[in-house]
Amino acid sequence: MTLNRTSNKAAKTQHFLPTSLRAAIIASSYWVLSLSPTVVSGSVASFIGCLFACYLIDLGIHRSPLKRLRTFTINLMSLSFLLMGLLLASLVTSTVLLSNLTSPMFSFDTGEFIKWFAISASLTVCLRVLAQRTSYGAVIEILFVAIAFVITLSAHRNGMIHRPFLIGDYALIRGIDPSSILMAFGCGAVLSLAALLMIENNHRRLPYHFTVLGLLCFSLLFYVRLFGLPTPQLTDDLGLTGQEQAGNRAERENPFRDSENNADDKEAPVAVVVFRDDYEPLNGSYYFRESAYSQFNGTLLDFTTRSDMDQDLIKNFTNSRIETNQPPKAEDQRTPVRASIGMLISHRTPFGLESPIAYENTANPNNLRFKRTYDTYSQAPEYDFNYLLGGELGRADWSQEVWDEYLELPDDPRYKELAESLIVDLKPEFTDDPFAKAWAIKTYLDESGIYSLKNEHAYETDPAGSFLFGDLTGYCMHFSFAATYMFRSLGIPARVGIGYAVPASNKAGGSSLLIQAVHGHAWPEIYFRDIGWVIVDPAPQQTLVDMTTDPQNNLQQLLGDMLRNDASFDDFLQSQQTSAINLQLILNILYALILATLLSAYTVKCYRSWIPSRAAVDKQYRLSYRAVLDQLAAIGLHRQYGESREQFARRVEAVAPSMRKLTNQHLALALGSQDKNSFDAAKWTELRSAIAQEIGRNTQTWKRVVAWINPFSWLLSK
Amino acid sequence: MTDSITEVAEPIGLSDTEEVSSNTQIDAAVDVLNRLSAAVKQQVLGRDDVIELTLIALVADGHVLLEDFPGSGKTTLAKALGEAIVDDGSDKNRADFILPFRRIQFTPDLLPSDVTGVPVFDSNSNAFHFRHGPLFAHVVLADEINRTSPKVQSAMLEAMGEKQVTVDNVTYQLDALFFVIATQNPLDLVGTYPLPTPQLDRFLFKITMDHIDRKSELDVLDTYKQRRDLTADKITVTRDEVLFAREQIDAAVTISGSIKSALVDISRNLREDERVLQGNSTRSMVLMLPALQVAAALRGRDYVSAVDIELLLPRVLGHRIELAPGVADLNKVLIDAMRGPMEQLARGTLA
Repeated sequence: MTLNRTSNKAAKTQHFLPTSLRAAIIASSYWVLSLSPTVVSGSVASFIGCLFACYLIDLGIHRSPLKRLRTFTINLMSLSFLLMGLLLASLVTSTVLLSNLTSPMFSFDTGEFIKWFAISASLTVCLRVLAQRTSYGAVIEILFVAIAFVITLSAHRNGMIHRPFLIGDYALIRGIDPSSILMAFGCGAVLSLAALLMIENNHRRLPYHFTVLGLLCFSLLFYVRLFGLPTPQLTDDLGLTGQEQAGNRAERENPFRDSENNADDKEAPVAVVVFRDDYEPLNGSYYFRESAYSQFNGTLLDFTTRSDMDQDLIKNFTNSRIETNQPPKAEDQRTPVRASIGMLISHRTPFGLESPIAYENTANPNNLRFKRTYDTYSQAPEYDFNYLLGGELGRADWSQEVWDEYLELPDDPRYKELAESLIVDLKPEFTDDPFAKAWAIKTYLDESGIYSLKNEHAYETDPAGSFLFGDLTGYCMHFSFAATYMFRSLGIPARVGIGYAVPASNKAGGSSLLIQAVHGHAWPEIYFRDIGWVIVDPAPQQTLVDMTTDPQNNLQQLLGDMLRNDASFDDFLQSQQTSAINLQLILNILYALILATLLSAYTVKCYRSWIPSRAAVDKQYRLSYRAVLDQLAAIGLHRQYGESREQFARRVEAVAPSMRKLTNQHLALALGSQDKNSFDAAKWTELRSAIAQEIGRNTQTWKRVVAWINPFSWLLSK
Repeated sequence: MTDSITEVAEPIGLSDTEEVSSNTQIDAAVDVLNRLSAAVKQQVLGRDDVIELTLIALVADGHVLLEDFPGSGKTTLAKALGEAIVDDGSDKNRADFILPFRRIQFTPDLLPSDVTGVPVFDSNSNAFHFRHGPLFAHVVLADEINRTSPKVQSAMLEAMGEKQVTVDNVTYQLDALFFVIATQNPLDLVGTYPLPTPQLDRFLFKITMDHIDRKSELDVLDTYKQRRDLTADKITVTRDEVLFAREQIDAAVTISGSIKSALVDISRNLREDERVLQGNSTRSMVLMLPALQVAAALRGRDYVSAVDIELLLPRVLGHRIELAPGVADLNKVLIDAMRGPMEQLARGTLA
C-alpha cells in the first residue's frame, strides 16, 4: 500500500510538466487545424477540449476508474462521447429555443463550441490512451501533430505568402520572409516533440519514436535539398511564354504546348500592379501587353525578327526610362495611366497596361519579395466600339513588306472561306467595314468555341486550323491564332498580343491589382490607322474549365502596400516597428551585457587568484584553498556534488599530489581544529606554488591555455 | 528486518594516519588504541576493518552487533579484545568480580538471572548475597543473541543501555568499560526471536562480516599454532588506559557545528524519504558523536571531518532504518540522503 502511494505520487510529480508541454503542443495543432473549418468559439473549444483530455488521460490513466478499463473500452467511450457531442451541437443549432432566448449568433457559437469540444476531446482521448498503452500510439500522435502543422504551413505554398495571416502579416510588414518564420516554427515543433520523447517514461519505445521523428525530419531535409524551398512557380499555359524559364527552351518554341505544364499552381502570384491613376477598362478586363506574335514563320506566328515590325513593343528592361518608338494614336480617346509593377517572378520582357508607352525602372522596396519593380506609362483606351467603326486599317509608314507580313497566314484556303462565310450576313452598310468584319469573326468564335485547357491540337502542324475546323475546343492561344488568321485572310492586319488579362472586378475597389499565373492570356489585335493596335478578344461562352480564382484581396493589398512604398507606408512600418522592440537596440544591449559579463568574470578570476597573497593568516586557509580550487577547476577538475573535500583531493592526486596536504590543512582550520597556529602565511604560499607547479607539470599545454583564457572557470570551483 | 549494510566508504586502515599531529593528548590516546589493535590483530587475521570499528565502538562507549556465519572469528575477536585489556591492579576501586572477558551463549531456555546474576542464600551468613552473572566483565560476547527469549534480551539490553542490572529491586553497577559484542546468524532464522528495531538501537554498530580473503585465510591456517601458543609476548592494555583514551579523545577532538548540522540534516532527509518507513532516532546521532571523534583521532586528526561521517554513518544507521517494502538498496537511500548535507558541509568550509 505504501509503495502504491509513493509510486503514484512519483508518477504525478514526474508527469505534470511533460503533460502540460504535450498538451500545449497537441492543443495548438487542434487550434491551427480548426482555424479554417470553424469560427473562433470552435477553435477555442477544440483547444480547451484537447487540454482537458490530455490532463484527464495523463494524470488519470494510472488511477482507479481508467486503470481498470481496457483501451478498446476507453476508445469506444470517447467515440460515443463524440457522437453525443455532435448530436447535442446539432440539437442546439436546429432548435429555435436557444436562438429565441438569446440570439441566433449565440446559438451558432454554442453549437460550434460543443461540436469542436467533443471532436478534440474525444480524438485526444483516443490518441493519448493509445500513446500511453501501446507502442505505436505515440507515433500516431506525432504524425497527427506533424500533419496539423504541415497543413497549416502548406497554405503558404504557391506564393500565398500572406498565409497563414497571423504569421504572414507580421512578417511581411517588417520585411521578413515569412518562410523563415515558418521554418523556425517547424524547428520549434520538432524540438519540442524531441524533448517530449526524451522525457517520456518508457525508454524501450524511445528508439522507435526517434526513428519516426528522424525520418520525418530527414524527408523534409531531402525535399528541401533536392527541390529547394517551395517558392511560387509559374504555370506556363495560357500564353505565358514571355516568362523566363528554367526548363528546356526548345519545348517552349510552340506556344500551343504550354498547356502541357501541370497547372496545379494557377493561383501563384506573378506580379502586383499599383495604379497611380484611376482607370476602369470598358470591356471588363485589364490587359497587360508583354509581347506579340506577329510574323508568320511558315508554320505559325512567332516573335518578329524584323526591326520595322511591332515597333510599339518595348522588348527589354533598362535601368532608366525607356519609351516606345511608336506611341498609339487617338490621344483624345485615351487616358494616361501610370502604374507601378512589382514582378514576383522574373520575366524576360516588361509588360504594361495596354497600351504602354514608357517604362521606368524604380527602386525595389523589398528585394526579398520583388524580382523587379518599374513604373509603366500607358495610354489606356477609353473609346467604345462605335468609335472603331469605319476606321481605316494599317499604318501610313508601313512598307509593303510589313503589310504583307501582317497579312501572312498558313496556306490554307479554309480560313478565307470560313471568314467570308461569316461576314456575308453583315448589314449592307457594314460589309466593307473592317471592324464589323472582325466583330463578326469574334462573335462566331464566342458563340461556337468551347474553352478548354485540354485539347488535341498541340501536335498538329497548324494547331489553330485543327482547332478552327475541328472541334472548336481550345484555349486562348487557339482562339487568338484562329481569329488572327481569319482577320488576315480578309486583309485586316492583325497579330496575337500576349501578356496578362485580369478581370476588372479583381481590383475590388482598391488601387492595387494582383496578377496571378492564371491570368496569363493571348488575344488578337488589329491595327487601325488613327488608333493603333486594338484588342478584339474572343470570349467563348462555353467553357469546360473554371478559370475563376479566389480573390486574394489581402495578398493583393499587402503586396500593393509593399510595392507602393510611399511615405504613408513608411509611416505605417515605423509605427509597427516602434511598437515592437528595436532589434538593433536589443543587439547592442546584448553585446554590452556580454562584454560586461566577460569583464566582471575576468575581474573576479584575477581577484580570487591574487587575494591570498594579501590576506591575513587567519583567512589564508579559506582564500588559498579557494585559489587552488580555481586553478583545478580551470583545467576541468572540480568537486562533484556531494563529494567530500578529502575524496576530491584523492581524486586529483594524480595531477596535484600536494592537494591532500592542503585539503587536510584547510579542513583542520575550517572544522575547528584546536591547533590553530601550525601554518603560517609562508607555508600556505609555498603549498600553493607547489600545487601550481604540479598542475603545470601534469597538464597538457592546450588545457592550460584554455584554463588561462576561460573567464568562467572559477564558477565551477566549489 | 533492515537490510544489511555493506561497505559504503572504503575501509581505512590505521596505517592511513599520514598526518603527524602535534597534539600530545591525542597521541597518547591513539597509542593506546594502536596497542589494543595490535593485540587483537595478533589473534584475528584479515579483519582489520572490523577490528577498527570494534575499537571505535569500545572507546566511544557503544556496543556492536556482528552478523556473520559460525566460525568466522567473532569469538576469537571478542576474546582477544577481552584478554588484551588487563587489570594491573592499580585501580583501587576495582571489584574482584569483574572479569576481563565473559561469553554468554544465548539459548531459548536461558533466564534473565543466568545473565545478570542471582541472589543466593548463604547458609553460613544466613543471608542472600548476590552472585554476579556474566555481565560483570569488561568485554562480553553475547553469542547468537536472537536465539533467546525477549525476556532475556530485554535484561541484556537494559544492561547495555544503562550500564547496570537490577535484580530483586537492587541495582548493581556494571564496569565503566562494559562492552558487548553481540552476534547473530543472518541466515538460520528458525526458532529465533529477531531483535526489534528499538532494541537494535542500543547497538552503536551493526557490522556485517564477509568471508576474509584468500591470503588472510591461508595466513589463519599457517599461523594457527603460533597464535595458540602465544602467551608470553602478548600485547596488553590496561583498563585504565582505555578509559583514559576515552577521556582524552572526548576532550581533544573538536566536532564543529557544521558537522552536527550535517548529521541532523541527514537524519531529517532520511525521515522524509518516501523509501524509508522509519528513520533513525536522535539517540543514534548522540551515540555517533563519540564514535566520530574516535574515528578522527585514529587518523591523527583533532577534528571530525566528512570522511568520518562517510565511514561510520552506514554502520550506525544500517540497522536503525526500516525501509519501505520493495526497497532493497539501503546504500542508495543513504547516499541520496547524504548528498545534500555533505555538499553543504563541503561548501561550508569555504564560507
